[in-house]
Amino acid sequence: MRIPEPDNHSNLSSSYDFVSEAGPSCVTLDKASHSNGINKENGYSAPVSNGTTSNGSPTMGNGLAKHSSSIMRVSLPGTTLYDDPYLDREEFVRLVIQSLRDVGYIESAATLEAESGYSLEAPEVSEFRQHILRGAWADAEHLLVELGVTDADALLDARFLIGKQKYLELLEARKTTAALQVLRNDLAPYSTSSEQEELHVLSSLMMCSDPQDLRRRASWDGASGISRRQLLDDLQHYIPSSTMIPQRRFSTLLTQSREYQRLRCLYHNSAVDPSSSSLFSDHTCDKESFPRITTTILEVHSDEVWNVAWSHDGTHLASASKDKTAIIWRIGLEAEPSSRDCIAEFILRDHPYALGCLAWSLDDSILSTSADNLILLWNTKTGALMKTLENHGETVSALVWLPDGSGFMSGSLDRKIIFWDMEGELRESWNDIAIRVTDAAVTPDVRRLVAVGMGYNPPPALGTLARANVRDASPPIVSNGNGNAVGPRSPENRMIIYDLKTGQVELSVHMEGELTSVKISEDSRYALINHAPDEIHLWDLQEFRLARKFTGQRQGHHVIRSCFGGIDGNFVISGSEDRNVYVWHRDTGTLLEVLDGHGLGSVNSVAWNPRNKRMFASCSDDNTIRVWEAPVSAGELLRGFGISASEPEMIGKGKGKVKQPWTYNDGGL
Amino acid sequence: MGMKYRRYLAGERIYGCSKCKTHLATIHSMISRAFNGQHGRAYLFDGVVNVVEGEPNDRQMTTGNHTVRDIYCVKCATVLGWKYDRAYEQSQQYKEGKYILERNLLVDVQ
Repeated sequence: MRIPEPDNHSNLSSSYDFVSEAGPSCVTLDKASHSNGINKENGYSAPVSNGTTSNGSPTMGNGLAKHSSSIMRVSLPGTTLYDDPYLDREEFVRLVIQSLRDVGYIESAATLEAESGYSLEAPEVSEFRQHILRGAWADAEHLLVELGVTDADALLDARFLIGKQKYLELLEARKTTAALQVLRNDLAPYSTSSEQEELHVLSSLMMCSDPQDLRRRASWDGASGISRRQLLDDLQHYIPSSTMIPQRRFSTLLTQSREYQRLRCLYHNSAVDPSSSSLFSDHTCDKESFPRITTTILEVHSDEVWNVAWSHDGTHLASASKDKTAIIWRIGLEAEPSSRDCIAEFILRDHPYALGCLAWSLDDSILSTSADNLILLWNTKTGALMKTLENHGETVSALVWLPDGSGFMSGSLDRKIIFWDMEGELRESWNDIAIRVTDAAVTPDVRRLVAVGMGYNPPPALGTLARANVRDASPPIVSNGNGNAVGPRSPENRMIIYDLKTGQVELSVHMEGELTSVKISEDSRYALINHAPDEIHLWDLQEFRLARKFTGQRQGHHVIRSCFGGIDGNFVISGSEDRNVYVWHRDTGTLLEVLDGHGLGSVNSVAWNPRNKRMFASCSDDNTIRVWEAPVSAGELLRGFGISASEPEMIGKGKGKVKQPWTYNDGGL
Repeated sequence: MGMKYRRYLAGERIYGCSKCKTHLATIHSMISRAFNGQHGRAYLFDGVVNVVEGEPNDRQMTTGNHTVRDIYCVKCATVLGWKYDRAYEQSQQYKEGKYILERNLLVDVQ
């Protein structure tokens, strides 16, 4: 961009003085309408955003005229900005003019219009915009045709939108009679069949008790809010964008560019921070700040560790083991990894069987665990067992505290999903559902429940083998070659999406292979499902389709779990039967890291710290839990946290026991 | 080894562990009822599920010498029977790779 400095600006000005016919009124333009725009005061009228207007007010025009009288139109060859044929110069300049006006650089905008010969828009457009913003509905409607809304249907639609705004504003101003007239005369006669329904809703708003009630029920923020601006955006659909440029168009394009860069940033894991972003350089996150080295190994469990879960405040980690205990670990987030205390605060021993699930209550005061068909509730402050729930008949495979604070949900292989209140009292039970649940999750917006599991083959009733569903008949017995016979073929596996409130099935999808884990993204849009063999599926819950597959990890016969992680859930991580932890970029499916370190067997589960986005934990058949973090950054080294120069290198290998500073707190259990 | 859910069988008749009801085998995989175990009658199955196999050892049985492993319920660890690894008598070799479950330790489940 060329920015004239003050001194050479005067040079330029003086050079312009040679031209006798300088000034906007003399600028030769391609289109007549554009030249009008320059000539009229309105073409320059104050920035769009402040909405001021004054027909014929000479002050501003004079100011501009004085300034631009010395400006000569620069004529350039071609029509593009640079070499790129997609970058039209006129479009670009008009966007710059729009931006300049939006922020208040009125004279610069005028200068640019004069120098380039392009004007932002025809005077009718700014008139139209002012009419809408001032609520001059009739005037605005008259201009629609001039603005290029020539299609009869489009015209009706646009008029309907304007009429709707007019109606709502009259209602808001409690001019009920006038509002009724608008409804009868402006809206009803022209509404299409699809608008009929909206019309009913609109007429019901007559009953609103006061303006607040009206705004709430109409999801509309009133004449003094942004509703008129919103109406302009809506009307934009009917007006050619070259005639009326969408509002703040440059900003929209730059936002898209930022989103694109963010999408391309595979290791993106820093908060969206305006202070660190610049238009002058592309955004990219340093791979080095990705958590990919082990900083702590927790080894107190005496058998395989099958699951891990972070407390919501990120300070505690719970682990579930085949050794029939769960452990609550305190992870000292306040300290640097090298001096961090990780303490086994409570060892929860009263489980009769190996543990499968863990879930922290929303306030982290209760930890629920499952051991076979039992659910146990523990006080996380004292480590005391509060309650044991025995309602399930088979292994409990899912425990989820509901985001609305109403309690928690459990799913089981007994084909029940049970809802419990905060005290562990049964609220509701869905019995005999179509699958033996192997995992389930609830969307953060509390609208849906996604369950996965094995399809259930009901036993044939005595003497009546014929059933409606042929697939329910007993499958033949399969025996593999080495005499290691297997039972009847596994029944089909399914993912079922329920409406949480009604319990209605929204979607039921047959899937090949065993399904062992479900997690839902923060925005409630995606479900992440581990799928044997060797795949993780990302399901789009809005469009009910498979959005992406993540591959690379090994999963054959065991319960392997995955999760979202990092800023905006940008990563997908999963355990694997090849003892590695796998990390993918969620939106592209790119495999980013295969992290080794765990011993023989499977990495069974992973959990990303909900507070510290640069930390996650994994648990393995090797009886340990690993905490993964970013390597110590150079900046931190410089700030001197007592880390010797040789240490980061040792840590950098991602192997070996960096340290086990935990102390064994076995008391009081 | 990693975590596994117990398997659930489907069929007209399902045999489970008498102590904890864990599914073990279906009638479709039964080969013979004419066996005897430590607790009386025992059944020979082509395949069973949800059992853990012990170490192999040689046992002299009424039909000759066999290499067998005890099998335990995966949930409650009750010894349920055994698996034939090897039969030394040629006439008995059809049992290799097959499982014995003791009838008194079984219960019908759904």
